[in-house]
Parts: sequence; structure tokens; C-alpha cells
Amino acid sequence: MNAKTTSGQPPSDALSRHIDSACARVAPTWPLDRFIAVNPYWGWLSQPIESAAGALGTLAGSRLTLPRSWFQAEWAAGRLSPDDLRLAADRAVAPTLDCAGSSADPASRAAQVESLVQEMERAVALGAADSPATCRLSLMTDLRDGFGFPRPGLSWSELVTHQISQHCAAYFDEQQAAWGMDPAEGLYGTWRRQLALDYGLPWQKGRADLSERVADLPASPRECIGWALRQLGITQEGQEAYLSAVIFSVSGWAAWCAYLRWQARLGTTAMPDDDHIEQLLAIRLSWEGLLHNDAPAGAVPAGWAAQWSHAGAAAEGLVTEQRVDWLLQHAIEIADQQRVIGGLTHAGPAAWADAAVAQPIVQALFCIDVRSEVFRRALEAADAGVQTRGFAGFFGLPIAYQPLGGALLRPQLPGLLAPTMSVTESLADGAMAHSGVPLAQALASRRQSALRWRERWASFKAAPSSGFSFVESLGLLYGGKLLGSTLASGAVPERWEDAGLPEGAAAQLRPTLPLADHDVSAAAALAHGILTAMGLVRDFSPLVLLAGHGSQSANNPHACGLDCGACGGQSGEVNARVLADLVNRPAVRAQLAGLGIAVPDSTHFLPGLHNTTTDDLTLFDTEAAPESLAGAVQALKRALATAGSAARAERAGSLGLGKKADNPAALHQALRERANDWSQVRPEWGLADNASFIVAPRTRTRHRQLAGRSFLHDYDHRLDPDSKVLTLIMTAPMVVTNWINLQYHASTVDNQRYGSGNKLLHNVVGGQLGVFEGNGGDLRIGLPLQSLHDGERLRHTPLRLSVYIEAPQAAIQGVVQAHAVVHDLVVNGWLHLFSIDPASGTVAQYWKGNWTSSGGADGAMWADAPRQRAAHAMEVAPASERV
Amino acid sequence: MALAVSPISTLPLWHAALVLAPALAFGVAALCVARCSGTESAWRTARGTALAGIALALLGLLLVAAGYEGAGFGQRADPLGAVVTLLVAFVGWVIVRYSEHYLHGEPRELHYVRWLLVTLATVFVVLATNHVLVLALAWMATSLALHHLLVFFSERPAAVMAAHKKFIVARLADLCMAGVVALLYVAFGTLNMDELFVAAAAQPQWPVSAHAAVLLLAVAALLKCAQLPFHGWLIQVMEAPTPVSALLHAGIVNLGGFVLIRFAPLVAQAPSAQVLLVVAGASTAVLAALVMTTRISVKVMLAWSTCAQMGFMLMQCGLGAWDVALLHLLAHSLYKAHAFLSAGGVVQRNAVARLAGAQTPAGWGATLLGMSVGVFMVMLAGSAWTALVPGALASPALWVLAGIVALALVPLVNGQALVRAGWRLPALALGAFAVAFTYFGLHVLSSAWLQVPERAPITAMWVLVAVAFLGLFLLQSLIHTAPRSALAQRLYPWFYGGLFLDEKFSGIAMRAWPPVRPTAPPVLTAVPVRTLSASISGASA
Repeated sequence: MNAKTTSGQPPSDALSRHIDSACARVAPTWPLDRFIAVNPYWGWLSQPIESAAGALGTLAGSRLTLPRSWFQAEWAAGRLSPDDLRLAADRAVAPTLDCAGSSADPASRAAQVESLVQEMERAVALGAADSPATCRLSLMTDLRDGFGFPRPGLSWSELVTHQISQHCAAYFDEQQAAWGMDPAEGLYGTWRRQLALDYGLPWQKGRADLSERVADLPASPRECIGWALRQLGITQEGQEAYLSAVIFSVSGWAAWCAYLRWQARLGTTAMPDDDHIEQLLAIRLSWEGLLHNDAPAGAVPAGWAAQWSHAGAAAEGLVTEQRVDWLLQHAIEIADQQRVIGGLTHAGPAAWADAAVAQPIVQALFCIDVRSEVFRRALEAADAGVQTRGFAGFFGLPIAYQPLGGALLRPQLPGLLAPTMSVTESLADGAMAHSGVPLAQALASRRQSALRWRERWASFKAAPSSGFSFVESLGLLYGGKLLGSTLASGAVPERWEDAGLPEGAAAQLRPTLPLADHDVSAAAALAHGILTAMGLVRDFSPLVLLAGHGSQSANNPHACGLDCGACGGQSGEVNARVLADLVNRPAVRAQLAGLGIAVPDSTHFLPGLHNTTTDDLTLFDTEAAPESLAGAVQALKRALATAGSAARAERAGSLGLGKKADNPAALHQALRERANDWSQVRPEWGLADNASFIVAPRTRTRHRQLAGRSFLHDYDHRLDPDSKVLTLIMTAPMVVTNWINLQYHASTVDNQRYGSGNKLLHNVVGGQLGVFEGNGGDLRIGLPLQSLHDGERLRHTPLRLSVYIEAPQAAIQGVVQAHAVVHDLVVNGWLHLFSIDPASGTVAQYWKGNWTSSGGADGAMWADAPRQRAAHAMEVAPASERV
Repeated sequence: MALAVSPISTLPLWHAALVLAPALAFGVAALCVARCSGTESAWRTARGTALAGIALALLGLLLVAAGYEGAGFGQRADPLGAVVTLLVAFVGWVIVRYSEHYLHGEPRELHYVRWLLVTLATVFVVLATNHVLVLALAWMATSLALHHLLVFFSERPAAVMAAHKKFIVARLADLCMAGVVALLYVAFGTLNMDELFVAAAAQPQWPVSAHAAVLLLAVAALLKCAQLPFHGWLIQVMEAPTPVSALLHAGIVNLGGFVLIRFAPLVAQAPSAQVLLVVAGASTAVLAALVMTTRISVKVMLAWSTCAQMGFMLMQCGLGAWDVALLHLLAHSLYKAHAFLSAGGVVQRNAVARLAGAQTPAGWGATLLGMSVGVFMVMLAGSAWTALVPGALASPALWVLAGIVALALVPLVNGQALVRAGWRLPALALGAFAVAFTYFGLHVLSSAWLQVPERAPITAMWVLVAVAFLGLFLLQSLIHTAPRSALAQRLYPWFYGGLFLDEKFSGIAMRAWPPVRPTAPPVLTAVPVRTLSASISGASA
């Protein structure tokens, strides 16, 4: 906690700073229709992860590691070995950069290591018995609950959360309720108004008393925060800690407000900034103030307000208690890193040279997503003429997509960026309807009309005075719908984006970038940037497959979470098709050649979509491929089908379909049915168990069974002498993979705050804002339990991401030092950064400012020690038998 | 119209056994599942039983349709029982199939299967029995078995609270049913329904006890159907897994309606009960429908919708429109089961709505035009049916309900829609006509088949209903056309707060019978423990 204030400054400035820093702690959450992964600890990045954990424990009651009982089980299962503990201890006592020269006494270091190892061994032996209790400083609501509940069975904490949460939902909702409040007065203003009119609140002195008190609250949120702090007697030293704790008590809606702020600051909204999060803080703090002023004698202990000034010390105390937890966490990460490092090191330069000779017939670009790894491996095995590469699945296009005639404009890029151009749909041949109107325009207006009728029908169904008659006259038809949904079907459902289009029209539409028509040189510059970032600047194959990915699930509020995160939680189809269209245009190619990338005329880019639920890979716009490549396209289709079968067989066990792994047709059918099953809560495992991000040429990882746990980004440092591409990779995809990794991590270690609980209880709020678990409570963010756990065991092992980059260490270090975000991520322990030496394959970790050898050709310490461990088998075992 | 209650024939043993067979099958299956150690075999048993249930129910319905009706060995075979049994069997099958994947991996999966089967078994008993006491006991057992499903997440305080609220309301209803049993026996000397109905029809002047019994029956139905102000539990049991909500909303909460229709020959002779049903049902329908439009989460919106729909169904019972009430019960069950089970798809459905973009609300002129078109279409459809089947649409209640259909059609045929329709105008008019025509058609069919006594309702009642729904329509149109108007904004906090009825009821009920709260999760009670206290004292020292 940095709650220090300079006494010379006027208090209002200090308070403003405290408000800002408390609000800045909250990471955003995206709505369900563009549900992408977010690192929920993003606001803590500038602190070491251990200190952030101490503060989060003290202020929010959250943990960042699993309980010790889990480590105990891993230890017992042999997945955590004495060697791992020793290495973790060794790293912990390693000297930092500052004192690297004056190397400490080796004997005392050995003793320190020994004592840390013993401490860890004691912790895993005792397991849960010795875990420090969860604790956080009490808020006023907690104190009041200690003195009795407002209503039998309902605590003040729950009541306050419920009241605020329901209000936020009603205020932010634009979709669910047909009758809403007038939001003109803002979140805080409407809250005051509604609270004063709430006849249902159990206020001891009656509603009139509460109304009066609410009327007396300051009109501006900032003033209200000041008022409440004065009432509560929180001094300046404690304000930041207290305000943080208060905002964490409504962390779900705070994350929603943080999203609005994020969007405003990205520049995607009309306003330059957004202060809803402050208003939310004022609301929650008003409750604290109201409850304080109404508290019975003795409910507030004398030192309560003062405790906040010592929150920093309390957090430090927690850090000390959790030291062994972090050592264990690091040890289990080391155990996993060693398996990966062993594989990377052994794929030596010989393999590289080998692959460089063979000229592939197809270059297939996949998203870096961990799910691509399984399919890529299978595809390479299916056809030796296919070379696969990894790149972020939005293919570098900063676009938003607008379906033809639709009012929706949907970003198709990572949440870190704002779209700068939009993509529309056009008909392949620009045909004209009879009346001379372009066919696309005619189609758009037909669609608008169809969609309007749909809406009219929906209001017939839902309007209060229509619902009764609707049910009576047409309700029986739902018997057929129930039957249809219950019986399994393997049919591929229509895309919702095609709703309202006449039969067959969707197949003729193609997403295109208007820029490519209007400004060829700008389009070519865009293509040049993308191809350069991909490292795809020479040696083009006849066919280049651009494979986006998307998931298929039914009745799933979190469906977008399974889609391509790099495409903003959407299917990557649009991006793949747009880029293919762009680089296939002769005009663009002509300009590209001028810019230094010569795409041969014989090369064709082919878009596709990898369905990650069924492992079907569909090709689009194949009719645009030249005749000469028809044979190659057919061969590719066959290879894709074979690869799909192999990938499905590999995944079958983890989906409980192990019995069908040997029967490709039955397995395929089972997965297609699963994808359509409205009762399926685990359509696929998404990015569960992700653990590493490997930035290297594919030759480095080819033939390695990475079990769908690695993000793979192709990178050839020889093409990037000035580290431009490296900088891009480390500031964008690496951050995105960190977001994904820590979303899974946080949802696993603290599902209560950073996960969305049980899907069985999910109740979508505001049509898209998020979910409640059950009736109400706070808005739930993060991943559902079913995405992390299969009912018997965790499917996601919470390991911080290990990033391996094949590049000169100086180049990597240069990026770390030049970019604050990258620096914070690495130095503060939010991820592990390794370099792979391009020549020798030696792996070293950037640790405390030094490059510390982590094995490799000469790395006796790490990789080559023969280790008797059950987990070693994991490298080859199918996913089903892991963990 | 005179009441035609004639003695019905006696069922042979095999037929009585067939009527009871679904209940027995589910009961036996529940026992088997209790012995199962693995979830796979438990689900297999449940799936098989559910399929058998549909087959048995279908057979029962076919027999009834072929004219094999009657009562005997404590069971009843009649159209009402047979059709609702098929409904429950079908919904039960859907829910079993859905739950198998949905609950996969839950720690208490077996517990769930067992109580799901028990709950369904008790519902089948309610539907099959010819005995009032058995019905009352089975109905109570349904609620007790369901309780185990409602507290499936027994560690969640909110789940326990909602189930407890339901428990209180259900026990009140049970008390009413105990009164019904006792008073009916006192009044008519028998508890067998077939004999009871004949005895009641034979007595032109009922004793007070008989009137009191039917009034209590209506009260029990109102309680079990979650009518205002006893609706809170229905709204709050979203704390149970989604298929439990579907089962509750599609197969259990409407048993109140079923029981009333079952006792139609008695209710039709008890004006006090009719008045109660119409007043309570209509006000719940109108108010809950408005509250529904303010809800911000999909499941809670559906729950308020059920509350309103149940009110509408009970109101129809009170108006003596029994066949329409049954139709409502069946159609609503299917609709609501689907709505709950597919609630997760709302995100995608809303995306399609955003594709369409914001629609400008229709103005008053357009709305009034729509009203007249709606009324015209309903009149046309009504005349068509009257021409086809003379006398089928005699009751004023039916015309009031048809008027409600006319208002319902407004979103489809308002001025805005008509202008936009262009060349589709005839299709639109035909569509509106078809809805009205279907509505009357279903009534004609079901009344012919159900053969429940139909009587003209008390005039004041149908006038009241007409006024209530016209009021609802006007208010809704006001909110729709001018959502920011002073009146809409003034009313909003009230409807958003659910008129604060549940808070008042809970305050009283929970004080009278406090719930036992599960140990709260640590986050809610966390107070500084040793680390914090140590470091704080260290820091301040």
C-alpha cells in the first residue's frame, strides 16, 4: 500500500489521488457477447506479485495460490519433486542485479537454500493444516453483521451487495428490461433516488429516516466519498487502503465500470473518460457511512478506523506468511518448465536445417491459441507438405465487422486495441437486381425488414398484455421445440450473424475491407505490416492457409469466451477471409512488391475456420482459388480431415469420450452433437491448462507433444534485426497470453471473486452484461467452474505463464527495459521469461535482472538430470491421463 | 347452462393400474437409484423410466380418447388427468435428459436424480388419484420432495432462504388442504371425487362447510401458484439448478390450476371461490406482468412471467373458462420449460436483436389503429367459429378473453406495422386472423373434449377482468411510447421493487419461523485473524 500523502498538499488533492489509485486497481471485464480474457490483477502490475497477493489478501480476502492441500496432493502424486523445491529455493536466494558483482558467500547461500527447502517440505507435509487463514480487514458491513442481521437469514453484507448490484444492473441494462429508469442523473444520482423510494429495506428507524439520510448525502460522488470518510473517521494514511477494500467488495460491478472506463480511454466512445467506477465507489461508501451513523453502541470497535492506516503493515505480514506458498508455486512451475525446456533443447539446429530444405506446398497460419497446437501437430503429421505457423488469430487486422444491413458493429481485434477500420459484406460478383439497385443493397434492405419483423414478433411474445395470449395460442408449439432440442443432432447450425438473410444468401456474401477498394496503397501498407509481423515475407508456398478459429456451443452464455480472444471473443472467420481477400488482390500485390514483399503469382491465400469444438476445419472462398491449385486444395482438404480425426482422438479422453477414441466416425458425430447440446456445460476445454508461450520458428517445437498447453508464435530473429517484430510480440501477443493465463489462474485460485461460479446457476444480466450466480449477488466475472474443473479434478493447473523466446538475449532484454508494461510483467513475477539461444538451443531465464541458465546443451543443472517422476510420462501421455 | 355431472363408469383393475403406473415406475426407479453407486447407472435408470413414463401416459391418453373413462381403485381415468400426465411425463423426460449432461460432475448428482424421480412420482399421484385425501398428501409430498432439489446447493444461504420461504407457503397451503379434506367429508360424506361431484351436483343448497371447503381449495391453489403477495419464493428459487426451475415452472407450480380444474364441478357452484380466484388471479396477472418488464436478469424475468401466467390461469378458472385454463396450463408448461432450459442462449438472441438495431416505438395513433384491427380480426374469427359450431362461443367470459387476444395482437398489427408491411399487408392481416382463429379453435376443441361444466361467470367479474386488462394495455402502451414520461418514471420504482410485497410478507413469515442459515462463506464473516491483529498491534506499538 502506498497510502502515503505529503502533508503540504491540500487534502482534496490527496483524496482525489486515493480515489484514482483505488479505482485503478480494478481490471475491466468485457460483456458476454465479446467475452475476452482479462488479467484481473492488471491494476497491480507495478507491484511484485507477492506484495499484490498480500494486499489483495488484506483488502479483499483473496488468494493468488491454491491452498497448500493441493500442493500436498501434487507432492504425493510425484508431480512436485525435491529437485523442484531445491531449484525454487535456489532461485529465491539468487542475488539480484545490484549485488551480482559481490557474490554472496556460497556457504551461506547453501544454508539458506536448505532452510527454504525444509520449510517447503514441512508445508507440503502438513498441507491444509498449516495454511494461513483467509483474512481481510472488516468493512462497516462486516462489523454490523457481527451485531445482528437486518432480517432473519440475510446479512448486511449481502443486503448491501444485493441492493447495489440490482441497481447497477437496472442502470446499465439496455437489453433485458423493457421498462427502465431514466439514467440522466447518473449511476450515483439514480441510486440516491431509488434508495429513498425503497419501501422494502429493513431500516430500524423506518423508511422515512433512511430517506432523510439519503437526501442529506452530498450530490456529487466525490463529495460523498469525502463525507463518508469523515463520518467514518478514516484518516489520510488509511484512505487508499480503505477505498480499495470498499471497491473490492463490489468487484464484479467495479470491473464492469472499469470496462466502460477502458473503452472510453481507448477512444471507442464519445466521452474521453468515464467515471462510473467512482460513482460506484461513492454508492458503496455511502452504505458504509449510513451503517456507521446508524450503528448500535459498541458495534464499531475503537481501533477500527485506525486499522486502515496499518493496512500496509498487515499486508506485509501476510506476504511473510505466504512466502512458502509462493516458493511452492514457483517449484511447481519449475517442474512444468523443465519438461518444456527438455523438449526445446533437444530439437536442435539439425532439425532446422532439415526443414529449411523442404519447400512446403501449403503454409498454414494458425492462431497462437493453445488449441491450435494439437491441430497443427496433427496436420503436420497428416501431410509432410504442410508447414504450419503461429500468429495472433486476428491476423493483425484492426477491424470492426458490420454484417450486411445490420446495425451491429463488432470489434474483431484484441481488447487492448481500438478498431480503426470497418469491414462490410459484399456479394462476390457485385451483381445488380432487376431494378438497377446493387444486389447487396437490395439484400440489406430485405434483411432489415426481416429483422424488424423478428423484433415485432419478439414484442408480441414479451409485452405484458400480449404474453398471455401468445402462450395460449402458440405455446403448444414449444413442445416440438423441446423435442427437437432434446434429441441429439449433429447438424451444423446457422450462424446468428446470418439471421434475417434469405435462404442461400449468406453463402454468397463475403466480408471485405472497403479500404482495399478505395485506397490500394494504404491497403498494401497494411498487408505489408501484417506479413512482416508474421515473418511471411519470402519463400511463399503455392497455397497459404489462413486459419482463424471459433468454437461451437449451444445455450452457452460464455460461448464467446471459447471463441478467438484475439478477435475480441468472436470467430476468426471474418479476419481470415478479409486478409486473404486483401493479399490475393493483384493491385495490392503489385504495391507489396514495391514495398519489398514479392508474393508470386502462383501463390494463393485461402481462408479457413478451425472449429475448436469439433476440430473440423472449413475452407472458405475456395472458388476464388486458381484452377491450377485445385489439386492442392483437394489434397489440403484430405489432410485437414485426417488431422481433424487425429486431433479429436487426442482430445477425446479429456471430454469423457475416451471410449470412442478408436472410432473416428462415432467420435466425430459425438462431438458434433456435443457442440449442439443445449445442456452441455463443457463443450470443450478452451484454453484450460495453458502454461507456456513459445516464440520461435516452428522447427524448434515441431515433433514435440506440447499437449495443447502452449501458445506458439512463429518468429525468426534473423528477419528482425531492429527488433521491431520482437517488440510487437512482447507488447501485444505476450500481454494477451498473460491476460489469458492469469484469467484462468485467478478463476481457479479464487473463483469466488475472479470466477463466475457454477454454470448451473447462471442467470444472464442485462442480456449481455454478465451473469449472476442464482438470484443476485454481485455481477460475476471470469470463468465458470465447469471451464476449469471436470467434476473430479482441476483441468487447469494454475501456473504462471512461461514465455520462451528464441532471440538474442540482448534483444529481449532491450524490449523488457524499454517498455514499462513488459518490464512490470517480467520483473514483478507475473510471468516467467526465458530466452532460447538460436544457435545452441540453451535456455536461460531472465531472473532478477540476470540471465540465469535453465538448461540446454550445456545445462546440466536443469534438463538432463535423470528424474524418476510420474509426471515425466506426461509429455507423451494423452491429455486424458494427465493431472 | 346446467351442470351435467353424471356418475362415471367404474375402472377395471388393469386400467386403474395403468393410470397409476407412471407414479409407480418413477417411485420404483427412485428406490433403484438410491441403491446405485455410480451416476451412470442412475441416469440410465432415470432415462429409461422417463421414456416408459411417456409410453404409459400416451397409452393412458389413447384409452381415454377411445372412451375408456372412469374411476376405480382410487384412480381416475379422464381427459384432464390423462393429458396432464402426458405433459408431465414429457417435460419429465426432457428434464431428465437435460440434467444428465448439465449436472455432470456435480458432487451431489445422485441425490439430485433420486429426488427428481421422487418429485415426479408424487406429481403423477396427484394427477392419477380419485381420492381427495390422497391428493392432498401427494401434493404435500411433491413440495417436500422438491425441497430437496431446491436446496441442492445447501451451502448457499440464498438457496436455503428461498426454499424456506417456499416451505412456509407450502405448509400454509397444506393446512388449507387439510381443511378442504375435513370440510368436504363433513359436507358430502365422501372423499372419492366421482361420488363427491355427483353428491355436490345433487344438492342445490350447499351447507356452509361445502362453501368453506371450496374457498379453502381456492386459497390453497393461490398459495401453491405463487400469487401475490406469496410469490417471493417462486422468484427466488433461481438458487437451484436450471432444470429444477424448469420442472418447477412447467410441472409443479401449475398443479394449483390442475387441482382447480379437477374440482371444477365444485368450484363452479361456489361463487365466493370464483370471486377470490378472479380478483387475486387478475390482479397478480396484471401487476406481475408489469413487474416482469422491469426485471434485469433473464431467469427472474421468467419467474415473474410465470407468476403472471399462473394468475391468468387462475382467473380463467374463476371465470369458469375451464377448457381455456387447461389449455393455458399445457401451453404455458411447454413454453416455460423451453424458456428456462434455453435461458443461456439469451446472449445470442440479444445479439440478433442488436443486429436489428433500435426500433422506434409506435405512437398512440398507431396503437389505437392496431387495437381496432385486432378487435376486428377477433370478431371475424369469432364469427367464423360461431358459423362453424353454433353456440360454441356463448360465454361472455370467452369474449372478454378474446378481447385480451385482440389487445395482444397490437404489436403485430399496429399502425407502424401496417405502414411497413407494404405488399405483405394481406399476409399480416391473415396472420393476425390466424392467431385469433387458432385461439378460438383450440377452445372449441378442448371444451368439446374436456366436457367440464361451463357456466356464465358473475357479471361483475368479467367486467372487472375487462377493465383490468384494458388498464394493463393502456399502461403498457404509455410506458412503451413514453418511457421517460413523468407517470412512467413515477411508477417505475414501485414496479421495480415488486411493489415491496415480498419484503413485507418475508418480514412477517421469517420472524414467525426463522430459517436455519448455513455457515456463511468465509468472505462474508472474515475479520482480522492472527496475522492482521499481530501486525496491526506491531505497527501501532
